[in-house]
Amino acid sequence: MGKRVAIVGYKQTKHSFDNLVSRERMVYELVKSLYSDIGITKDAIDTFILASNDFTDGRTISEVYIVPRIGAYMKDESKVESDGLNAALYAYMRIQSGLYDTALAIGFSMSGSEFRAPMINSYVMDPAYERPRGLINFHSIAALQARVYMEKYGFKERDLAKLTVKDLKNANNNPYAARREQKPTVDSVLGSRPLYAPLHEAHVSAYADGAAAVVLASEEAAKRITDKPLWITGVGHSMDTYYLGDRDLLRMDSLRSAGEQAYRMAGIKSPKREIDLAELHTNFASEEPVFAEALGLFKEGSGKEVVANGDSNVDGKMPVNPSGGPLGANPINAAGLIRLVDVCAQLNGEAGKNQVKGAKTGLAHGQDGPGAQQNVVFIVRREK
Amino acid sequence: MPGETIKSMVPITFLYRNRVGQALETYIDGLKDKKILGIKCPACDKVYVPPRTVCGCCHKKLDTYVEVEQQGTLENFTVAHVTIEGGEIKDAEPYVIGMIKLKGADSLLSAVVKGVAVDKVKTGIRVKAVWKEETQGSYSDLAYFEPA
Repeated sequence: MGKRVAIVGYKQTKHSFDNLVSRERMVYELVKSLYSDIGITKDAIDTFILASNDFTDGRTISEVYIVPRIGAYMKDESKVESDGLNAALYAYMRIQSGLYDTALAIGFSMSGSEFRAPMINSYVMDPAYERPRGLINFHSIAALQARVYMEKYGFKERDLAKLTVKDLKNANNNPYAARREQKPTVDSVLGSRPLYAPLHEAHVSAYADGAAAVVLASEEAAKRITDKPLWITGVGHSMDTYYLGDRDLLRMDSLRSAGEQAYRMAGIKSPKREIDLAELHTNFASEEPVFAEALGLFKEGSGKEVVANGDSNVDGKMPVNPSGGPLGANPINAAGLIRLVDVCAQLNGEAGKNQVKGAKTGLAHGQDGPGAQQNVVFIVRREK
Repeated sequence: MPGETIKSMVPITFLYRNRVGQALETYIDGLKDKKILGIKCPACDKVYVPPRTVCGCCHKKLDTYVEVEQQGTLENFTVAHVTIEGGEIKDAEPYVIGMIKLKGADSLLSAVVKGVAVDKVKTGIRVKAVWKEETQGSYSDLAYFEPA
């Protein structure tokens, strides 16, 4: 077991489909206000990890434009071309190394206003085979996965629609979410544009402009910065094969493995009992039961029951995406880090109408790649 | 305040070409002869279609090409109501995208399935490859699959 690492600051933007500012200014304002919230300046940060992507930024070595905005001038800085929870993972590891006491992790993109998200998603597909053939993309993979789950476990389209309504209602109560659907209902979900059956437009996450950032610190540094640190008690990371045709879309082996690593590190024996809420990086509503079950939060194949009983609601046995999750806002590169920020807000009792009562231990999940090929899991705990 | 919000945007475009590797070149050459080629891992004996040069699971270099059968089972599918091109989602006449396990292969191959009504399609049906009459050495030589 390594050192203790705390989250001493966290913040997200108010996400929107068009935030009418540049990426650089969005990031600058977020980081400045985060530092100000926790009473530090850039001088207090030893190392900086960004999550962005040359494709989403439309330029190469894209972090060079961001470095001055986050206060990394003349400092140690690196970029991960993946979801933001990876940036938090790298920051955690850097502090574990003993070389650094504090780190900023930030993820951002303008996936609402500057490009079409499905285009960026299609750039992830194998350029030599799947991409030119045009059949297999993030949407159609999610549909294939949803269909298998539904067929195997008798999960009906209405069950999936009901789960979607749960997330959309949570998003309506989340001041940071981009999507606001007036009175979402099972019928409005099922009546939305059909994409790849069983998926409709309403099941798809809200690709938006946005950013999220966290400040991590060693135990000694955390004591200097805050009197209510949140502790990272477990992390896990796993990468599945790229090839869709080799994967078991239901088992989600890489997510399962990331979850098991994190539970082992955190000493969690029964995730169902010991975790109070989970924020999952779902690009599609249909991923929610599959991911939650792979993480052992619910019994395998219990989606129908969970929806019927409201077990994953804010006031349920195991609240999942009380923020509304990416269905409310999914800025590519930031979505997984937003999950971590939302978990922190829950643990500190700041989640407003979506607050899970007495939340003490939370799980944040980030993913990247087609069909959640790569997965990161964080377990965060409040001490008192 | 000036610049409080910004409405101006300038376009960015990229153009790329991608050279396929040895395994896909061999696969494409096979399609020209109306053959479906896979590649076998000497360690785990799995046959991957289309072929690739490394088995990720065993970390072995692969070079044993094998021809697989042109018939197989529909393992999974989605009825597509759209196409996505350049990130644009466009409505389309419903069509079936299938994941097919060819006899002799261990991985699933994605392909369009025709000849079965979109509301009748189900997993487990036997399907066979349909070729373009004149093949030219491209992925589209293997036109689609239909019930066997």
